[in-house]
Amino acid sequence: MIFVDHERCIGCYACIVACKMEHDLAPYPTSPPTAEPKGPRLIRVFQVGPEIKDGKVYQYFVAISCMHCTDPQCMSACPVKAISKRVDGIMQVDRDRCIGCKFCLWACPYGAPQFDLDGKMMLCDLCFHRLQEGKKTACETHCPARCIYVGAPDEISKIMGQRAASRIEKPRESSLVA
Amino acid sequence: MVHQMSFGKRVVKTTCKSCHGGCRVIVAVENGKITHIEGDPESLTDGTMCAKGLASILEVYNPNRILYPIKRVGERGEGKWKRISWEEALDLVAQKIKEAIENYGPSSVAIGQGTGRGYNRYTFRFARSVGTPNLFLPAHFCYGPRLATFGITVGGRLYCDYHGWGGEYPKTIIHWGKQLEITNADGEMAVWFLKALEKAEYFILVDPRATRLAARALWLPVRPGTDAALALGMMNVIINEGLFDVDFVENWTYGFERLKERVQEYPPDKVAEITWVPEEKILEAARVFATHKPGCIQIGECLEAGNNSTQTLRAIICLMAITGNIERPGSMINWVPPDTGPMEDFALEVPAPKELPIGADKFRLLARPPFAMCHVETMLEGIRSGKGPVKVMHIQGSNPLVCYANSKAVLEALLKLEFLSVADLYMSPTAEYADVVLPVAHWLETDDIYDMHPRFFVSAIQKVVEPPGEAWPDNKIYNELGKRLAPQWWFNNVEEMLNYQLRKAGITWEQFKSIGVLAKTGKDQVYYKYKTDYWKKGGGFDTPTRKVELYSTIMEELGYDPLPYFKEPNESPYTTPELYKEYPLILSTGGRLPYYFHSQYRQNPWLRELQPYPIVQIHPETAKKLGIKDGDWVWIETPRGRIKQKAMLFAGMDPRIVVAQASWYYPEKPGPDHGVWDSNANILTSNELPFDPAMGSTTFRALLCKVYPVKDGE
Repeated sequence: MIFVDHERCIGCYACIVACKMEHDLAPYPTSPPTAEPKGPRLIRVFQVGPEIKDGKVYQYFVAISCMHCTDPQCMSACPVKAISKRVDGIMQVDRDRCIGCKFCLWACPYGAPQFDLDGKMMLCDLCFHRLQEGKKTACETHCPARCIYVGAPDEISKIMGQRAASRIEKPRESSLVA
Repeated sequence: MVHQMSFGKRVVKTTCKSCHGGCRVIVAVENGKITHIEGDPESLTDGTMCAKGLASILEVYNPNRILYPIKRVGERGEGKWKRISWEEALDLVAQKIKEAIENYGPSSVAIGQGTGRGYNRYTFRFARSVGTPNLFLPAHFCYGPRLATFGITVGGRLYCDYHGWGGEYPKTIIHWGKQLEITNADGEMAVWFLKALEKAEYFILVDPRATRLAARALWLPVRPGTDAALALGMMNVIINEGLFDVDFVENWTYGFERLKERVQEYPPDKVAEITWVPEEKILEAARVFATHKPGCIQIGECLEAGNNSTQTLRAIICLMAITGNIERPGSMINWVPPDTGPMEDFALEVPAPKELPIGADKFRLLARPPFAMCHVETMLEGIRSGKGPVKVMHIQGSNPLVCYANSKAVLEALLKLEFLSVADLYMSPTAEYADVVLPVAHWLETDDIYDMHPRFFVSAIQKVVEPPGEAWPDNKIYNELGKRLAPQWWFNNVEEMLNYQLRKAGITWEQFKSIGVLAKTGKDQVYYKYKTDYWKKGGGFDTPTRKVELYSTIMEELGYDPLPYFKEPNESPYTTPELYKEYPLILSTGGRLPYYFHSQYRQNPWLRELQPYPIVQIHPETAKKLGIKDGDWVWIETPRGRIKQKAMLFAGMDPRIVVAQASWYYPEKPGPDHGVWDSNANILTSNELPFDPAMGSTTFRALLCKVYPVKDGE
């Protein structure tokens, strides 16, 4: 699974571009340049806030890609069975079968399905070509904030638990007791 | 290093210069084409990269690249060009420079550069070798004040020690008008800071906006242009409450008693009124920084883009000093350079010209050696009026029409030049008005030594692919021009020039390519250097008094206040209340973005897709009053003019402030202007409002404006 730590994400968008580069995605340079170039984003970054409540700032960023759900709604929704799940759990799309109806986008709770210039669906493939070589995904490799983890749920659970444990001693908020 | 992986496939390690940073990267080439770029996991930046670096592939293969040297055949800006050979182009540029020097004197030539991309030393060397003092850089409002104030106060530049090489990480980190996490500018890297942030106990963010890390910080929402008051107020608290570092102050600073007297004028309640920061936050920040040590302060460019830049920085450096946060591990360090020595020596070894730069009489700190620079607004005014010396200008990688105050006035000046040559990758609005345009190679197409700021490493930029057309790297252009004008200072070829620069490290360029990075890290860095003979025999800092000069003897000598003070911005509710009635919002221009760097990258589709249009941040309450919804196009107007940007409702700042983006033009719009008059914040800024008296800094971050919706058809 892919886990993005919203407490660390700085909204720098490196993951989006790393993914574009890794998969050679649109948009491509044109002459003259395009004002509103668009292409599929297999990972997307969202800003929440800022909101100021009682003098405290609430703001965070988080990146969301395909969650590679165990029970994928996109798969059930697809009328032509273009979407399937690999043995290793990674979602994949048969672009020859895909009819570009976008119904999977209706069904996905995360808005993950992306559509290439030909209108056919594309999904995060968890960079399995990199995982196979023992490398990390393009997004995890490049994230300057080190907030992306790709691993099994128990690994993520351990990381989060560790972090919570270390917080018992050291409060997050700075408040000086004079 | 080049590995032969399989037939047609190559892997090259090089250094990215998409920003100031210098991350090491690994580039894959297949059958002559770049297929992949990735961070080098062995690099100082842990193999990470940013959006701009990752999008670099599209810079190499961008069909809008300038391919050949061209010469204007129509009127300036008509867009009629004739392709010429490099020989002809360089001969022409050199001839124009030579003629100007012969007819008018060396000061008639201005050599310009924009933000640094690691070739600053070539620009400086070229200007010196040609004999002109008139370096046309944005330095007086960007980084120059840091250079100057660190120099006169401490003797050298200080950087935040995020690395822990001295055994300690910062306990308190202050980011003062800085978004290092996305900018990687001026010698520091986001990766280092973010790692140190995990270890820090306190993070203080001083910024009018709740920027990305505000939720994790003690956020001081300072009114634009009032940072000096805040720093002085913090010192008032620290000194009066006896929280300063007694040992360091007594033994290693000069002028404490006088500084103490000065800060009495800035009690926290008065400072709260001036800065709009609640008093309890000022108290907390001051006490935390003074007592949770070591601490470091990351200074941002916005503090330098105002009418009181020098004293603002002086105040913040004094704050570092009185808390003893200089040269101790985890605080502010002057890095020991790598074995090459400071690369800036390559520029400084050429004697400075006898004549002083334009503006030296007024802006005496800006004109102070070793990095004496001309005051750009004065220079441009001199061109417009015809009374100034500059007649001929060469620009290597800068877009003055977009990036200097009052674009109308900049264009007027450029059009009056006798000759203008511009070197760039793309036909920027500035390049469109040139007489000769030289095509420049991208870093993926360049061999050079990367040294952006004198810090602890230099690294090899190794050419990965041939440039398109006949584009040449910056260092080659400078060398060939230099050979024509001052051959005694230039080299037979670029490789010789690179070998020369590496000589102190005892290696050649070929060797350096394999080595990749020369760095002084870990135990090679020395802390507490003032206790050794490093700067002065017998110890001390490289200042006239050998101490950190809280009271600056050099400022005194130059005729400026030797102690820091606060001054209201030129335009504010308090200094210009009449103006405020008509322009009731405080405007900051230039909030930084992670996918653009000044005016760069609008023609890179992976980056442009992330934010196709300029955004102005407006508080929801203000927007409601003005009838503006999120995403509406709005006019932003100042007495100088008006521009259009898209409104983003942003609750993380005072409702009286709006923050517009800077450096916008639209490369897709037809030349010569490419939409430079539509959304460029420098339509709004002034080249005439009072400058900082010592550095001549221009005001970009504290102005007054009004905002109203764009009506249909406008």
